[in-house]
Amino acid sequence: MMTTFETIAKLIAETKDMDPSEVKPEMTFADLGLDSLDVAELVMNMEDELGVTIEISPELKTVQDVVALVEAQKK
Amino acid sequence: MITSIITEALGITYPIFQGGMAWISEAQLAAAVSNAGGLGIISAMNLDADYLRGQIKKCRELTDKPFGVNVMLMSPHVKDVARVCAEEKPAVVTTGAGLPTAYMKDWIQAGIKVIPVVPSTAVARLVERAGAFAVIAEGGESGGHVGDLSTMVLVPQVVDAVKIPVLAAGGIADGRGVAAAYMLGAVGVQCGTAFLCATECAAHDHYKQKVVAAKDIDTVVTGKRLNHAVRSLRSPFTRRYIDKEYDPATSGEELENLGIGALRKAAVEGDLEAGCFLAGQAAALVKCVQPASKIIEDMFVEAEALLKGAAAWVK
Repeated sequence: MMTTFETIAKLIAETKDMDPSEVKPEMTFADLGLDSLDVAELVMNMEDELGVTIEISPELKTVQDVVALVEAQKK
Repeated sequence: MITSIITEALGITYPIFQGGMAWISEAQLAAAVSNAGGLGIISAMNLDADYLRGQIKKCRELTDKPFGVNVMLMSPHVKDVARVCAEEKPAVVTTGAGLPTAYMKDWIQAGIKVIPVVPSTAVARLVERAGAFAVIAEGGESGGHVGDLSTMVLVPQVVDAVKIPVLAAGGIADGRGVAAAYMLGAVGVQCGTAFLCATECAAHDHYKQKVVAAKDIDTVVTGKRLNHAVRSLRSPFTRRYIDKEYDPATSGEELENLGIGALRKAAVEGDLEAGCFLAGQAAALVKCVQPASKIIEDMFVEAEALLKGAAAWVK
């Protein structure tokens, strides 16, 4: 079973045609070259795959922020 | 009459919005469109809160019909402008160039119907969840900030992705476009370029003439390298810009600076040399300058005839 981070890294990698190993927890959306359209796409994919609800907010900046948000909902 | 939930809920006669165009969608044009039975929209563009407040006040003096405000989310004044919307309570707020979810709660609480422009199904789903009344699915045929998908493929997918009403935009400037939008599942349309050539529009005559003269292949997309693609009419400005955009020696910052003020030069000064004349591919369908009321009436007379006659195709 994949960890939350691994699942998210895989989804980000799919959005940007990257290798999942290139995605690091400390990276921001900007670092990953994700614009608002990509972020919307990613959030919807994560919701579909992980069965969570993700509110986009200014505090949501890095991959780790997203992982934390998802983990909190899974508990 | 072509009615829909859009006309009924907003109290307008025709299910047509006039797009929010920076330096073009001023109070005078918005009021003319609203008085003609559509929904006029003031563009908050990248100016400050005082500008928007002034425009809303002026629009209220010119019409007692509902109208909207378009908030451009990339504006440096977006927070102030969002607050002015919540205070002034126009009937509708439309948004463009980004995700409006952070501001939607305040607007909805103020009783405003929020109708974001969306370039993808994911954005449509996100704003639906945040309480949007409807969405405007805008294809890349449109002028100004553009997404990649065309109207023909975007609209039916957005219709499938959300339960709220969908308006179609991008490439619509006559009754055929309106009828097609309904066939794709939309219940209304938004037109920008068509209204740019309204008599009541304050844009410089050179701008209107350029739109009227435009042929099918006369628009270009610039700025993809900066991640904000913009469609405009071919001009000396776009030729110079494209040369720079594809020159690796040009820095992103240099490219960014090149674009500053170019739209104002087009819309306000009519500067054919230095201006950037934003327009959609539908510019080629716009044949003359005429009052907003005539633009709308012509469009819907044609659309009605087409939709009524559509059954003839089925044997």
